[in-house]
Amino acid sequence: MSMAKPMKAALAAFALTTAVGATAAMAETPSWCGPNEASLALLDGFGGNSWRLVTTASGAEEAAKCPTITQYEYADGQGNTQKAISDINSMAARGINALVVFGDAGPAVLPALTNAHRSGAVVVPYRVDVGGAEGENYAKFIGSSFVEDGKSWGNWIKEILPEGGNILFLSGPAGNSQGLDELKGMKEVLDDKYVFVNPEPFAVTNWDPALTQQVLSAEIAKNDKIDVIVSDFGPSLVGALPVFKEYGRSIPALATSDGNSLACFWEQNKDANPDFKLFTVATGNDNVRLAVQWAVALATGGTPPADNIFKAPVYENSVTGQPNPVTCRPDLPGAIYLSAELADDAQAKAVGQ
Amino acid sequence: MLDNPGTATMQGAAPDWRSVRLARGFVTVVVSTVALLVLCWAVAPSAVSAGALAGSLPFAAIIAIVGLGQMLVVQQGGFDLSLAGGVSLAVVITTHLPSGNDAALPSAILLALAFATVAGVANGILVGVMRLNAIIATIGINAVLYGAVFAVSGGVPRITTPLMSAIAGGKTAGIPNSVLFALALMLLVSFVLKKTVVGRRFEAIGANPAAAHAAGLRVRLHQTMAYVYAQLLYCVAGILISGITREPTAFQGDSLLLPSVAVVVLAGTSLLGGRGYPISTVVAAFFLNQLSQFALAVGVPFSAQTIIQALALVCGIGVYSVRWKRSARTRASK
Repeated sequence: MSMAKPMKAALAAFALTTAVGATAAMAETPSWCGPNEASLALLDGFGGNSWRLVTTASGAEEAAKCPTITQYEYADGQGNTQKAISDINSMAARGINALVVFGDAGPAVLPALTNAHRSGAVVVPYRVDVGGAEGENYAKFIGSSFVEDGKSWGNWIKEILPEGGNILFLSGPAGNSQGLDELKGMKEVLDDKYVFVNPEPFAVTNWDPALTQQVLSAEIAKNDKIDVIVSDFGPSLVGALPVFKEYGRSIPALATSDGNSLACFWEQNKDANPDFKLFTVATGNDNVRLAVQWAVALATGGTPPADNIFKAPVYENSVTGQPNPVTCRPDLPGAIYLSAELADDAQAKAVGQ
Repeated sequence: MLDNPGTATMQGAAPDWRSVRLARGFVTVVVSTVALLVLCWAVAPSAVSAGALAGSLPFAAIIAIVGLGQMLVVQQGGFDLSLAGGVSLAVVITTHLPSGNDAALPSAILLALAFATVAGVANGILVGVMRLNAIIATIGINAVLYGAVFAVSGGVPRITTPLMSAIAGGKTAGIPNSVLFALALMLLVSFVLKKTVVGRRFEAIGANPAAAHAAGLRVRLHQTMAYVYAQLLYCVAGILISGITREPTAFQGDSLLLPSVAVVVLAGTSLLGGRGYPISTVVAAFFLNQLSQFALAVGVPFSAQTIIQALALVCGIGVYSVRWKRSARTRASK
């Protein structure tokens, strides 16, 4: 895949340039940016979807806020654990001071992280649990509170279905910790009146739109009554939801994470589907910002942020309009996330449109 | 070889209906499929409901089409790992270049077909002419194709055009259009393979390249063309995916590689090359798809779903392994 490399380098450089441009006006140096010069690398386990591109651009934008970061690198593991490990090793060998790592492969990348940590780099894994311990295997782990997302969804479900109901919960690959945490959050809020109709713990979709479509049509055929669908990646559902029409049923209520294409889909289909209510939490692109802040603070001698867990805020609610009504921006690409801090047009650029 | 009734039709263009009777792969796969349908009716009726079929048949059609492509390569004793890249490239070209604009769709489709032809010729030259190992050559071309996928898309999905979605995702007389495409391609491949001079030569070369070469056939040309036909079929599958799935990823071909080989094997095409069974391949695609629908409908855990599919494949391959031994023995005794 050597052909993809110049592409990625260009993309990273471009993301950084846009980021620098966007923040040039911001003269004030944030408190997490210390006086010592350092280099920073953002290491992705898999960079090939719009969510990751927006996240990468967000990370670059955040790093660019700190003038003492003199060098910024990006590497994409392309969903290949072996490559992700070699990326970590090579960045450490090149003497990069701070590594922010999206450890998609989980504990498989821990040995590489530990080596980098021992060789003196500031290693900050984020979002995906890689095992190990702070101070021993890496400097700091910046988690995301998926349990919190589950609770937000659960509370909304209780609001719209006070008498209980059937829930279909779809998540990514089998056994992924994000899905398990979200389920835990929902179960904390919802009692026995609410029945999960999917196989335990969730229906596996690999976050792949084609598989989601197949799984959803099988679940609809199996269950005459689905009151609410919970999915932790809303945009991959967009292609699958029209399946309800095959059965002559309304799309049910949906609790998920935000995305422009999903919001526009809701806008277009809400009239034909009376039960289609939508509730979203922010999809969490800004998780990377907190991780970058920590890595920069530790590498440059700045003040670390107060938080060490990213809590995705509730974003849209089609029933109450609080905190935001569902917002579709047809002029922007479907594959962007209006909940992210990164400016809309910068996101559009990041996803190449 | 002349004594073997299975290859008797390869000696000339005249059809030999005995071959229909002898297509044991067809019998096996049809019996398995009927048995599976009966099992679905009994245990998990939702898997055979109209809605579930309408939802899953387009994906069976996709597996059928890539299976037909893989079959042509396997018939020449080859193996095409560039399927994933070929399908993904067709998907991103037909979603990214028009970018939601119907008017730009025809040119994007032509471009996708052109890319597929180039990739097929490259594979064909590496394997058919330069005699590289098929697995190594096609894995290399796959990497190049993925380079093109990234160059076109940057790895980002884009929403398909309304026209593509109407063509590939729509229905005609209650049947998903993608299924009609798969059936049409099956008829085309069957007709060309079984009823034309080119097709008969193609099968003869697959069965025994040395003998075919001695008979004066252009072995390398036919072997090269197998990869071109295959890429064109992958391309059609990719174009259809871009309409069936509203926002396909840039890696949609990845999950099709194993099913494509599985249906070829289940249909009874020998991995050593020779006769191809287009109709059985399409039925096997339906079988494989129905099997995953069955597993989903029963609601077993994901691990068990995977095991069920693996077991079905092992059984399928087992059936043919037994047959091979027996026919080898029969041949030896003659």
